[in-house]
Amino acid sequence: MEEPLITRSEGLYCPAGDFYIDPRGQVERALVTHAHSDHARSGHAHYLVSQTCLPLLKLRLGQNIQVEGLSYGEVRKIGGARVSFHPAGHILGSAQIRVEVGGRVWVVSGDYKPQPDQSCEAFELVKCDVFVSECTFGLPVYQWKEEMDIHMEINKWWSENAEAGRPSLLFAYSLGKAQRVLRGLDPSIGPIFAHGAVHPFLPVYETCGVTFPRVQKPKDGSGDWAGAMIVAPPAVEDAGWTRRFKDAKRGFASGWMAVRGARRRRNLDRGFVLSDHADWAGLLDVIKGTGAESIKLTHGDGDPLARYLKEHGINASILEGVHVRTEEG
Amino acid sequence: MKGFSELFHDLDEMTKTGDRIARMVAYFTEASEEDAGWASWFLAGNRIKGAVRTGELRQWAAQRVSLPLWLLEDSYERVGDLAETLSLLVRGNENAKVMNLSTVVEEGLISLVAADPSEKQLILLGMWNELRPIDLLPFHKLLTGGFRIGVSRGNLCKALAEVGGVDQAVIAQRISGEWDPRSRKFSQIVGKDGPDDAWCRPFPFCLASPLQEKPENLGRVENWWAEWKWDGIRCQFLNEDKGGMLWTRGDESVGESFPELLDVAPHLPIGLALDGEILAWGPDGMRSFSRLQKRLGRKQPSPSILKKEPVRYMAYDLLRMNGKDLRLVPFCKRRQKLEDLLNGLPAGFPLQLSLRVDAESWTELASSREESRDRGVEGLMLKQMNSPYSSGRVKGDWYKWKVDPYMADMVVVGAQLGHGKRANIYSDYTLAVLDTSGELVTVAKAYSGLSDEELREVDRYVRKNITGKYGPVRMVRPGIVFEVAFEGVQSSGRHKSGVALRFPRIQRWRKDKEPKEVDTLENLIGYARMGEPQRGIGPKTDDVGNLLLF
Repeated sequence: MEEPLITRSEGLYCPAGDFYIDPRGQVERALVTHAHSDHARSGHAHYLVSQTCLPLLKLRLGQNIQVEGLSYGEVRKIGGARVSFHPAGHILGSAQIRVEVGGRVWVVSGDYKPQPDQSCEAFELVKCDVFVSECTFGLPVYQWKEEMDIHMEINKWWSENAEAGRPSLLFAYSLGKAQRVLRGLDPSIGPIFAHGAVHPFLPVYETCGVTFPRVQKPKDGSGDWAGAMIVAPPAVEDAGWTRRFKDAKRGFASGWMAVRGARRRRNLDRGFVLSDHADWAGLLDVIKGTGAESIKLTHGDGDPLARYLKEHGINASILEGVHVRTEEG
Repeated sequence: MKGFSELFHDLDEMTKTGDRIARMVAYFTEASEEDAGWASWFLAGNRIKGAVRTGELRQWAAQRVSLPLWLLEDSYERVGDLAETLSLLVRGNENAKVMNLSTVVEEGLISLVAADPSEKQLILLGMWNELRPIDLLPFHKLLTGGFRIGVSRGNLCKALAEVGGVDQAVIAQRISGEWDPRSRKFSQIVGKDGPDDAWCRPFPFCLASPLQEKPENLGRVENWWAEWKWDGIRCQFLNEDKGGMLWTRGDESVGESFPELLDVAPHLPIGLALDGEILAWGPDGMRSFSRLQKRLGRKQPSPSILKKEPVRYMAYDLLRMNGKDLRLVPFCKRRQKLEDLLNGLPAGFPLQLSLRVDAESWTELASSREESRDRGVEGLMLKQMNSPYSSGRVKGDWYKWKVDPYMADMVVVGAQLGHGKRANIYSDYTLAVLDTSGELVTVAKAYSGLSDEELREVDRYVRKNITGKYGPVRMVRPGIVFEVAFEGVQSSGRHKSGVALRFPRIQRWRKDKEPKEVDTLENLIGYARMGEPQRGIGPKTDDVGNLLLF
């Protein structure tokens, strides 16, 4: 029996429906799990994404792309395949893609997290025969705390810095993490700013019912940054852009911050362990929950997780041929 | 661990020395006497030895969290720090009540030392249940002995001096040597009047800076005292009512290992402190450091080893005489007093003066320095004639003018993830040279000498060029050539080549060189020949004239 999805150099391909999932290169039809750049690449002729992902994808790839949005759970027949999108809980609009061909079901997770996140749709567990799972944090040292606790840690750090008359410069990926961080900030502590890369996504979030405190652009600020919170993408960490925030304490919100070495290497004052991926326990729960007979791991060093699953009687392997670099953590 | 765990995490996150000192002062002011005592003991670099074997610790931790041991090992490889890995896995008890540091140390860590393995496991399981999440990392650091959080002894002394309103040098002496907070209370450490036995501990050692400029820039040669830089164990020789004591720079008391040196003590005045070096020394003169190593760690050496591996104390400074602190007296005067003292001793004692290397000019001195390798010394020491005996390294007073290291080009054939700041970066390299048949053979491991940027670049190369796995080491396709500096070549079974380098460190990245252009094993062995003849273990040939090196 032919599987619904196979691996090609561009990525996962569905022969029955003649489409790819999160492909590289240039293809005719691309189904995209979410709008992060290591999944949503420009250059394809047609895109199919979740309805909430659509405006985000246009912001990232341009307003002129050929793209269609599908509501979560809505089934679309493409050739001989039945396709549907299901919330992945990673960022706003992120989806797992379910592909059914001849009664056989594959689910491609994209990036996902079963932990609660007030800034996006809640993860949905989808039963399947084969589950293609990310495993960015596939080691038991990665265990996330409650989202609320991290928001409290961030606000505490910010207010301590504000008391000392210093700005707080918090690095967070511009799409997803930045909005999640902004949502949890306590505006009574001080003014809130965000880098220009973060702003365009805010209205899309607001349309979906995610509310933010007042977020300004630095160019509209008074120039006195003492006590301010500035959220910026890590890409500008060493850029001249940050120089204006004199004496700023520097923090980073990412799952990678669980390990001290990662924080110390970047010379940060503070790391906040806030991730948009599943932690070890989350990966195990979801993998077991899907009831899949076969698990294919991608995104990360999957060897330990694959070995662990096999020792627990679950058929797991590394999805060969699909090498993707994670943009964020 | 009340207040201490918070201190640990804050110090770990702080990047400025001033912040760290202020944070320590705040802790010491608030903490109980017992807790403050233990905290200063650990921050001074002391550790509780023999609490647990890390192999057992890993196994019990894996059992506790129901994970296979291999997965704990894989996690450790990613995290790069065992104490942190254990803390991330064990997690601790959110509802635990706060314990005092002294309770954890005295009832936990110290009781582990005497316990048998099954008791140890029970004690640890108990601790893991009773510690808060925030306690785990500092606890595991204390347990595994790797308690380093960027606080130097000098900065600790500054903080304690501020707490007690006492001079920093006094604090430095009070926290030197062997003590623990049960025998010496925190109030005695920071108190105005120190305990009487303060003099039984060494002074902070005066350290030399490497000479990085032309010696001519130091001024007139007669303003400097030059002597050989001995390749032994630096020790302060103290003589008090109780007898003689030998203290290393690591604050270890090693007198028991060298009874023939302590035998000299009754012939010396009480209230004395000398600075000098223990050297292996036979009827044939000075011997290599490896001979001295045979005497190390033996608490009561047998008469046969005392006879076979004799030692001498080479004295080069006088810090205290008849109970009087001479450290602020100019070097030339201290030196004169030292000569008077030692010249008054009867002959035949294993205690001698380190002599001046005389020179009329820097050029003459430079040519004397060229003899260093033949003499088995590391180069020259230069001491400013009027310098005091400072605590630590004070630039401009003492210089070490070491002999130039050997250099060779080597290629990276293996890499391992680093630790601490370099965790998760391939920063430890296995290096190889060519043997006569043109094969690459490993000769050294080295991990220092690259900039952060270069490290990242090498890391990227390694990740793309892994050809195999050997434990934690990844075999790497040869492509990166380093110029490596080292101090000597020794026979060793550790590497395939049969030799190992002494103090190898990466000097620079030779991007202009191909792997096939690296040095040969023969060249390295040639260096070994050059360095050894004076030590009586130089090259020999076998019956048919082949070179026998080791």
